[in-house]
Order: sequence, then structure tokens, then C-alpha cells
Amino acid sequence: MNKLILFLALGLVFFNAGAQNRFFTKDAKINFNSSTPLEDIIAETNQATTFIDIDKNEVAFSVLTTSFKFRRALMEEHFNENYMESAKFPKAKFTGKIVSPIDWKSEKPVVVDVKGELTMHGATKAVTFKATITPGKTKVIATAELKVTPEDFKIAIPSAVRDKIAKEVTIKIDAIYAPYQQ
Amino acid sequence: MSKPKTLRIIIWVFLIGLICAASAIYYVFNMPRRNISKENAIYTLVAKQLISDFRSDETVATAKYLDQVVAVTGEIKSIRTLDNHSMVFSLEDQMEGVSCTVDSADVVNNSSKLAQFTIGTKGQFKGRCSGMLMDIQIINCVPQ
Repeated sequence: MNKLILFLALGLVFFNAGAQNRFFTKDAKINFNSSTPLEDIIAETNQATTFIDIDKNEVAFSVLTTSFKFRRALMEEHFNENYMESAKFPKAKFTGKIVSPIDWKSEKPVVVDVKGELTMHGATKAVTFKATITPGKTKVIATAELKVTPEDFKIAIPSAVRDKIAKEVTIKIDAIYAPYQQ
Repeated sequence: MSKPKTLRIIIWVFLIGLICAASAIYYVFNMPRRNISKENAIYTLVAKQLISDFRSDETVATAKYLDQVVAVTGEIKSIRTLDNHSMVFSLEDQMEGVSCTVDSADVVNNSSKLAQFTIGTKGQFKGRCSGMLMDIQIINCVPQ
């Protein structure tokens, strides 16, 4: 009997090891948008790395701040040198959990709540946002939108340009995950 | 010198100054992007060296390479085309190697050269180092 339990337990371990529980992509799209009546500032990158662990419902993102592309070279320079201080803080990161129920076998899009910590410019803040996830066996699609306040991340904006930068910056995420083979 | 003449000179100087200032502001505001293909590489090295530099001390390597133009050579392990038509060539390791991104405009300009780059061949890319996530990322790349 004990042997049978051991056998079953081992079988379960092997079964789990064989099952695909982590998905990833290195080409996730992140864009942000700061719209004010004076100026629209839009930047985008295609180089965010992200993981989803469907057993633990965990999500992780990381992106290099110098990879964001702006309409004007000057905006890019200001973003990296004055605001994000990319030389000092080259990465922005998010780690969190999907806190609402999700059926990973359904293959239908579902809106979930994601809760976690966002770190950029050396400051960390708890954030909660909604994401739409479409589970699948060979790929998982996720889109999300969140709003952040630059001041929450100790990003100092001179008063002369404060009116040109939105109080809340909208960040949009688009990711198509593939199974992660180690 | 009569008074109206002095006034006229002042007005002219003021106008010329204004035009200079306006054009300087206009130039800075619309300054051109860095053209990596016209810049010389600060560091020319093999991908394995860059990987070992970042793995041994990421902070030191980031301080050294961030935003610098590097020319890196390595074996191409994967080639991906993104939905914005830029291409990513991973050198030495698909997951934790060096990822060189060629922007869509440069893909068009260098199409014949890029066509020679296949998985398993050696490739050299010159671009701007933007740091390390899982892999070391070189952006705005041009094939050499």
C-alpha cells in the first residue's frame, strides 16, 4: 500500500514536471501614453521580458528603460537622462499575482485582477490593475492597462514642464507567451 | 548718430538674436536621432565576452556598456521577426545570450546582408547596449 502511494506520488511529480506550467516571452510590447492638452507623449518598446506561472498564478515583467522609443529624440533623451535616470536605474520591474479565479484550460479570454509591486526609478509601489488573459496550450495572450503617477516613483518633473506631462501616465501591455522550456 | 538710426540697429540686433534663438530651439527640439551605423563602435568583442562580463558583475558591466555602441560577434541561435517588422538575432544562447534587434527601417536597408545570417552561422552586429534582462540587449543594430 505504501509503495503504491509512493508510486502514485512520484507519478504525480513526473506528470507535473512534464506539464507546461511556465510561459514566457522576450518580445512583450509596452507602451505608455501621457496626454495633456499641450502635448501627447507616446513611447513604445517591444523588448519586455515576461513570465507567467500558471500553477502559482504568478506574473513577472521586466524592461530596460533605454529601449523605449519616442517620436522625438529629445523626448527620449529627457526621459532617460532627467526623469528615469536610466544610467542609475536601467530596469523597470513588476512582480505580482493574478488574484481573481482563472481556468487555464478554458482557452477563452477572461478579465482578471492582478496585484503586485512595480519598481522603477529605484522606487517600489503596490499596484493593482485589470488584465485580459486568453489561456491556451501553446500560447497565452495577455493585455493589460494600468495608470501610474510619476511622483509615486520619485520622478521629479520641473514645474516649467509639469503641464506638458500627464498627472497619470497610462501604461499598456501586450504579450503573447510561449511555453518556457528550461 | 541720430536717434532713429540707433533704434533701428537695436531692433535689427534684437531680430537677428530672436531668429538665432528660435532656430537653436527648433534644432534642439527636432534634433536627429543617433545614427548608429555612422558611429564607431566603442567596444568590439565576441558575444561570449559580453555575456561573461554581465554575468560576473551586472552593475559594473551596465555602467561600462550602457548606451555605448558595441560591435558584437557570435553564433546565431535564433532569428525572430516581431510584429513591428523589426528582427531579433540571438547570439550564443537563445534565452541568455546576446539579443541584437534590427529596427524595421534597417531590416529593409540591410536585407541582402541579413539574408545571409542563418541559424548556426556567425554574425556581427553593431548597436547600442541597453543592458541585461535575461539576455544582454543590443538595440538599433546594423549588421556588419
